[in-house]
Amino acid sequence: MNVLERLSEVMAELLRDDLRRVVLGEDVREGGMLGLSRASMQDPALGLRVLATPLTPVASLAHATGLALAGRRPIVLLASATALLEGYGALRELGRVAATAGGERSAPVLIVAPTGPGFGLGGDGADSPEAALTAVPGLRVLVLGDALEAVAMLRACASFDDGEAPTVLLLPRALVLREFMADDFKPSLGRPLGAARVVREGAAATVFAVGAAVDQAFAAVEATGLEVAIVEVSGLAPLDEAGILAAATGGKLVVTHPGGRAHGPGAELVALLADRAILHLDAPVLRVTGAEGPLTGRDESAGLPDVEAIAAAITRVATY
Amino acid sequence: MEPSPWDPEGVEQSLDAEGQLLDRRAAHGLDLRALYKRLVAARLLDLRLSRLGLPMWVSSAGEEAATVLSAMLAGPEDWLYPSVRDLALAPIRGMDVDEFAQQVLGAAYNGRPGAIAAADLGIGHAPETLGLHLPLAAGQAHAQKLAGPGRMTAALFGEGLTTTAMFHETVALAFACDLPLVLVCKSQLWPEGAPAEAGLLGDSVAERVKACGLWSRRVDGADVVGVYAALDQAFRRARDGRGPGLVEVVATRLQTGEQSADVPAHRDPLERLRRHLDREKQWTPTFQDVIEAEVRGVLERAFSHVQRQAAVREGSA
Repeated sequence: MNVLERLSEVMAELLRDDLRRVVLGEDVREGGMLGLSRASMQDPALGLRVLATPLTPVASLAHATGLALAGRRPIVLLASATALLEGYGALRELGRVAATAGGERSAPVLIVAPTGPGFGLGGDGADSPEAALTAVPGLRVLVLGDALEAVAMLRACASFDDGEAPTVLLLPRALVLREFMADDFKPSLGRPLGAARVVREGAAATVFAVGAAVDQAFAAVEATGLEVAIVEVSGLAPLDEAGILAAATGGKLVVTHPGGRAHGPGAELVALLADRAILHLDAPVLRVTGAEGPLTGRDESAGLPDVEAIAAAITRVATY
Repeated sequence: MEPSPWDPEGVEQSLDAEGQLLDRRAAHGLDLRALYKRLVAARLLDLRLSRLGLPMWVSSAGEEAATVLSAMLAGPEDWLYPSVRDLALAPIRGMDVDEFAQQVLGAAYNGRPGAIAAADLGIGHAPETLGLHLPLAAGQAHAQKLAGPGRMTAALFGEGLTTTAMFHETVALAFACDLPLVLVCKSQLWPEGAPAEAGLLGDSVAERVKACGLWSRRVDGADVVGVYAALDQAFRRARDGRGPGLVEVVATRLQTGEQSADVPAHRDPLERLRRHLDREKQWTPTFQDVIEAEVRGVLERAFSHVQRQAAVREGSA
């Protein structure tokens, strides 16, 4: 089964676990654009909490916010993370609503959306709007970096165990069609949600990678033949600053993520490292990112950081 | 009496320009004297607010019927999502006047002057993004629907919003999900022609949403009995699970620089109801003086109290 099919089962489990939860989105009663509500619709006991809404970018997000203010736990399924840019006004309201809505209120809305290249769609269907989302105050933004953590990430995001900040979980398209056995998926994260994680040890250099760039980083490290550490940064907002700084002490650092470089998530990471890890730095902190776009379906893989470019950056900092 | 260019067409009349009650059944269950007091209080509140120098504040004199009657007709488990021109509904929903003054002056919650919200009173907040309270109200209504029938949410707004995607998206949502949501639209007539930026689409919002499949009524905001009957019906329908609706209340704004022509007195909902009470021997100048003195006193105490507190805080800072 692929990652989306497994997540569809988890979505049904989430509805069973907590009666406050509702699933919202266009076509969700037909399984949803990504099939994420298919298993829920197959259980007659859950169908009533699968709520189909028209494709109304602003209203549907505010509608979910209203449901959350009224005590529900909405899970919004979007066909593309770029839909959040169309609904930006409502997203900003979602981020600040807990502070403005009159009394003790919170809006534990979970938005699940695919991001970046991977389906061959190009355009909006290949964009990586992560940076625009992290610019919304009050919003928690997470990116899946390891397909086998998909189940654990979704569960952790939906639990709102560490506060009820509205949350966006981005699923890189490059990861979610991969096939696994159901038992391959890790049942839980084993670390706080959003914590930076060292996924490969090595002393020659350290690569901080976001989302689909994690696998690109692995391939690049293999190509260099060097002992290089890889740190997966899954929490973009808030950033796990302590975890990132603790992993930066090697002093030879590369940052890589999908999407364009200018004002991308890497800009914030590099600024943090320049500010707080300056005494460890032994080389410039290099960034390797995807192309700015717009991308067509044919060339959408340019939206991912190039493996050779990452390898070249690693070699440069390692031999600086 | 001949209708003036300020009188809306295509509405049923319950209380005519001279204050004659044409349809006694429409006023069933309505204490008109109590309603009159609420309306006077809302008007005096508007006057008091006009002296506060709140940023972006706009008078709602002339539009009181929709605001006041929505608040009176909403049950304890119903929710109201007001626009910033519906502040008068908060005291009717039971908000303490000091708390009200604090919120209006921006001394509470988000510190945004002129905005009110109270979760415990079922008053939703007015987001800074124009019109976003409509889909928020739709979400509130959806949660009510999931909990079972018997509750509804109403959102109040001006007709300017009906040209926006936000309005149309909300209509689509409410209709698609069959929500217990009532959209209360306060429309203006423009006898001298609407300004281009009003972006009006046709004369009647009620007709427009009817074409979308939505239940709707169009009433005259100067006819408080008509407004009462339409809102009562819309709220009941929503609570009974008979679906969303829109009530368009055509009101004449009485204090605005945009409308230079003299507005006839019968366009003022307070004056029209006063004429009726006068005909019924339920109104005297003394009655008027007593209401006004009482309301002015309450407002003055609350606002000067909060303003004094703010001054003390600033002084000690």
